Amino acid sequence: MTDNKMNNIYLPQLVTIEDIYDETPDVRSYRLVFKDSTLREGFDFKAGQFGLYSAFGLGESTFCIASSPTRKGYFQCTFRRAGRVTNGMADLSIGDTMGFRGPYGNWFPLDQWKGKNMVFIAGGIGLPPVRSVIWNCLDRREEFGRITIVYGARTVSDLVYKEELAHWGKRADVTLVQAVDPGGQTPDWTGKVGFVPTVLEQTAPAAENSIAITCGPPIMIKFVLATLNKLGFRDEQVYTTLENKMKCGVGKCGRCNVGDVYICKEGPVYNAAEVKKMYNDF
Amino acid sequence: MADKYLKKEALEKLIAAVSSSGGCFIAPTTDARQVVFKSVEKAADITHDYVLARNSYKEFVFPQTEVVATFAVRQHGIGLTGKEVAPKETVIFGARPCEAASLSSLRAVFTWDFIDEFYTKREDRTIVMTVACTTGDEACFCTTVGLSPESTAGSDVYLKETADNGYLVQAISEKGKAFVEKYAAVFEEQAGAKTKKLFMPEKIKGIDLAKITGRLKNTGHYDEPVWAELTRKCIGCGACTYVCPTCHCFDMVDEGTAYEGERRKNWDSCQYDSFTLHASGHNPRDTQFKRWRNRFMCKFSIYPDKFASKGCVGCGRCVRVCPVRLDITEVMEELSK
Repeated sequence: MTDNKMNNIYLPQLVTIEDIYDETPDVRSYRLVFKDSTLREGFDFKAGQFGLYSAFGLGESTFCIASSPTRKGYFQCTFRRAGRVTNGMADLSIGDTMGFRGPYGNWFPLDQWKGKNMVFIAGGIGLPPVRSVIWNCLDRREEFGRITIVYGARTVSDLVYKEELAHWGKRADVTLVQAVDPGGQTPDWTGKVGFVPTVLEQTAPAAENSIAITCGPPIMIKFVLATLNKLGFRDEQVYTTLENKMKCGVGKCGRCNVGDVYICKEGPVYNAAEVKKMYNDF
Repeated sequence: MADKYLKKEALEKLIAAVSSSGGCFIAPTTDARQVVFKSVEKAADITHDYVLARNSYKEFVFPQTEVVATFAVRQHGIGLTGKEVAPKETVIFGARPCEAASLSSLRAVFTWDFIDEFYTKREDRTIVMTVACTTGDEACFCTTVGLSPESTAGSDVYLKETADNGYLVQAISEKGKAFVEKYAAVFEEQAGAKTKKLFMPEKIKGIDLAKITGRLKNTGHYDEPVWAELTRKCIGCGACTYVCPTCHCFDMVDEGTAYEGERRKNWDSCQYDSFTLHASGHNPRDTQFKRWRNRFMCKFSIYPDKFASKGCVGCGRCVRVCPVRLDITEVMEELSK
């Protein structure tokens, strides 16, 4: 690593791409390991935290850590080819080097949720942060009640983690409901056809003793919050993650704030009661 | 420490002394017919007849662009080296009392929780020598935001011009006292020189800071048409943010070739549409009035509430530089209602 006396908060750690999974035509997951062996063993984070990933020469981009903290020795990120950095990242191969800064931000308070039923609602590329919590719960399965996952994407090909969806679908201790937007289905599609909030309403998970976690496009989150209220969920039972564009990740660059709330420092995880107190600006 | 006296001619000696001890002397100087803060080598280069330098001196603690790391593609991966700053002693001569108050605001942002040592190491080596205003213009509004030419907050050394072409010198901070002691040969004992009358901008009657902050606290103001109406003429050039002594927004950018390059921290502006634009196309601040509202909230709600510091010091630079004459004090008046 670098010999650096100064505490440089913008200096990333180097990570190696150990494995690549093509989730959809434009979404990839990387399994990453730190080059530094102490960090590799000692790296600790909590589900919901995020990091800044570097494609050197192109810049940094912010996403959640998509793997569960219960899986040690590596971590995963999942990203869509969208901008300059993610396109650069997508051009890398197994064995290539990337940069990582983190973990930053707060997390889903799993330890407070022992004995609760967990309802996960995700749309499109919103599944990765939720997936970290799903696996965290599945790896500590005896601590939680029923687990329900409602996941939808624009089209069948846009569903990420297809192998894991198949695995969750087969598990007796998980209820999985998959959906695609109308027009996104294929002839052999056996899941639902409809938008996530509608499918969630049809699935109607019980609100009692439950926690709901949702992530997806901002417009989906807004409608899901309304649907959950309709199903009897109180705002305190509903959590989401509001990842915004960030450059520093540490409360300095001035980008991610929603009104007076800095997402990178006070978030990205909030319950719906907190979200409703915020300015409608995300 | 008793007050000292500094002759204007002695500035020559001070510049020489600071330079010979490896330091850097920044002062208002005339460049392309504008008074700007720049490094000066002789006293004759200093401009004394000015209201405020066109640029804020924040660029000497928070440079417009700076390298935070360098990288090179090697046969087995990437070579990455973090950049260290080892700043020289930097004297800012001729700052005004309004902008002197801004460094503590910047420091609050750059040190909450995570400490940006690029900033703190520079600021720790910076000596702010404020010269109290004997002149001003219609854009000055320090008295409206609770400051005045008599404010010494943020100054390390506070100077008042005297009638006999010198300065009455007050060391304010510990750093300032150490500075005056270090260069004791330049300063003289104070012998009752008469100071010039200070220029006091008139307080704008319609503005009430407490009312503004109170109104911004209530999320209801967000959807009020007042924002769009007041800021409609903004063209989003971002000039106000670049001259502002408390604006701190930056971008992180990689520059270089495919084989080697550097990661830079560059000034950015919340007034640009790409500032918050997600790669997906979603933009939380997708119209100019939302960006303007964000800037205003940053000054009058986020800075005071989150960092217990001033977001606006009333220097009036944004008012002077705005190409469409969007005067922040007019918005402050409206929000004081």
